[in-house]
Amino acid sequence: MWKKVYDWLDERLGFDSLYKGLLDRPEPEGNWWNTLGSASLFLFVMQGLTGIFLTVYYTPSPDHAYDSIQYIMNDVAFGWLIRGVHHWGSSLMVLVVFIHLVRVFVTASFKYPRELTWLVGVGLFLLTVGMGFTGYLLPWHQQAFWATTVGTQIVGSVPFIGDFLLQALRGGPDLSALTLQRFFSAHIWILPGLLAALIGVHLYQIIKHGESHFPDEED
Amino acid sequence: MNEDTKKKINAKYERELNNSSERFWPDSIFKDVIVALGLFILLIMMATFIGVHDTPKADPSDTSYLPRPEWYFLFLFKFLALYGQIPVLGKIEFIAAIIIPVIVLGVLTALPFIEKSPYRYYGKRVLPISVMAIFIVSMVTLTWISDIPTTSGEEGIYVAGILQTIGGLIVPGLGFLLLFIMAFTMKEKAKQPMIWTAVIASVLMIAFTGATVLTAPGRESAEEEIPVTLPDRIVAGQDLYSVYCVECHGDDGSAITIENTEVVDGVEVTTTTEITPINTRDVLYTLTDSAMVEVIAYGRPNYGMNPFGLAYGGELTRTQIDQMVTFMRYAWDDRFEMPEIPELFPPLAEGEVPSYEVHIAPIVKRYCVSCHRAGKDNNDYLMTSYAEILTTGENAEFNIIPGEDYEQSYLLITIQEQPILDENGEEIIGVMPPKSVLKADVVNVWQLWILNGMPETAEEAAALSDIPVNTETP
Repeated sequence: MWKKVYDWLDERLGFDSLYKGLLDRPEPEGNWWNTLGSASLFLFVMQGLTGIFLTVYYTPSPDHAYDSIQYIMNDVAFGWLIRGVHHWGSSLMVLVVFIHLVRVFVTASFKYPRELTWLVGVGLFLLTVGMGFTGYLLPWHQQAFWATTVGTQIVGSVPFIGDFLLQALRGGPDLSALTLQRFFSAHIWILPGLLAALIGVHLYQIIKHGESHFPDEED
Repeated sequence: MNEDTKKKINAKYERELNNSSERFWPDSIFKDVIVALGLFILLIMMATFIGVHDTPKADPSDTSYLPRPEWYFLFLFKFLALYGQIPVLGKIEFIAAIIIPVIVLGVLTALPFIEKSPYRYYGKRVLPISVMAIFIVSMVTLTWISDIPTTSGEEGIYVAGILQTIGGLIVPGLGFLLLFIMAFTMKEKAKQPMIWTAVIASVLMIAFTGATVLTAPGRESAEEEIPVTLPDRIVAGQDLYSVYCVECHGDDGSAITIENTEVVDGVEVTTTTEITPINTRDVLYTLTDSAMVEVIAYGRPNYGMNPFGLAYGGELTRTQIDQMVTFMRYAWDDRFEMPEIPELFPPLAEGEVPSYEVHIAPIVKRYCVSCHRAGKDNNDYLMTSYAEILTTGENAEFNIIPGEDYEQSYLLITIQEQPILDENGEEIIGVMPPKSVLKADVVNVWQLWILNGMPETAEEAAALSDIPVNTETP
């Protein structure tokens, strides 16, 4: 019976080729340094899941953002846990992605034929940092408010287009409800969308070229 | 890269694959799952045992707040601060803030097209690895000293400032410079010297950073406690109400007149202003929380109420005003049920001596500071700290008399509803607090505290206490 169901599905979905193409691939001798990429992916998924839960209660307006987070922390069942995991997960993700980048740099895994994998990877790193920057403002507390004020000010110091960039980031001359709304939108739609798409490309590239081996004197 | 090298690289990879018995499933996946599980447990632990510490709600009017970004931007902040110390060049902020980071990121992005040699082995890539090493060590050290002030703000030599400039800016800068000079002048022979440069630069950076931390003036880690639970917020609100509002609105918001005595041309003139009691349904049912916040922040200038919000020249942050409104709601609005509130001070056991920090401070904050602080009419008797309570005021030597004659202390007399009179029978100090009566247990705390020589800390008080040892079970 199960065999029949499996065969029917396999005919249409192609489990076997999927298994051969994705999972049953030969790999060079690896070690624990090779797990950093998948660890980043795992953290991305965790951030996504906890983030989705947080949007259920979070309100992106200056009047309610702080209080809605306090409500999540104090009144929602296990809200403190979800928020805590999301909060620490962001720090950990930036750290793990950065260590992953350094590992690839040190073993020179970015060289032929993996140049584009590196390029996409740097994009992923920048997007991760961008997620951290936009997410930091969302609780709308003093530290975040003033750090973002200074952070956006720095962007404003670019010659010629600085003022335009500043206004685009803040949605006006000062941090306001618009800024919060923009950061929220960037944090839950724009950046994660780009991240997910680039992660897809990154994974395809890895499967295409295989994991790089650790270099020896021959390389 | 020519086709031959490409073929060689691909052939080498093929050999690596053939020499290995590992497959993505299950070998790699197994390790990945273990790491993911470890991270998951780590996250749960951090969320549970460290938690998240939010600062107070954002307040655009409180510009004194020291901004602090996420920890992974701290190295950049510190770099900016140090860079700003460079004469002339330091004034052009966008060089450090934009140009340098953009160059670094640009190099990082275009790395495969900059480092074009086909070699991957570490020994053949000493320059890039050394540069990266110095870069990472400087990131770590800059993060480490990020909350040490860059300048002392005073004239004279600031040792920690000099040390951090050397460790955070000069050493890595020289290190990079040396590495590139060596790579381009010594070519093949540069390997050993470059490794040594990177190692020595790293050691120096760490040493100077360590020295910075040691010589830096003591850092104040004043982490504010923000009341989060409802009872805590109500208590915080009540304390604020007691300081800022009681004078006019009375203990329970029921005051309907404000008497204001002024001396005009040598004659005392008392003016009486009628106000709306603020604890009535009229007020509480018709004003929403945000309307109440606005009234407190902006005041009612036409009716003589000053603005209290920072944005309008007052002293209170938005968070504090929110707490006040929470207190008013729960204390007076009959639609809200008051939760259980912790006591103002822990009740005294038999023979226990009260201390300033545990017992007197909360009492003073609730009943006295409203008037006994700078800028109020109080015979210069200030009560905002332990030292002030003991030493300030026109009648400092009589306010508190420790020892046998403690009952003669002006403070104890006035809080027991007896005014202080001069020899002509004129009142020089009225009863305290002017508009309410302290409960017996509060008066008792004051009496015991003064009788026992005004201990400041709980330890000092415990040393004076004479609590009978509990031998029998009660």
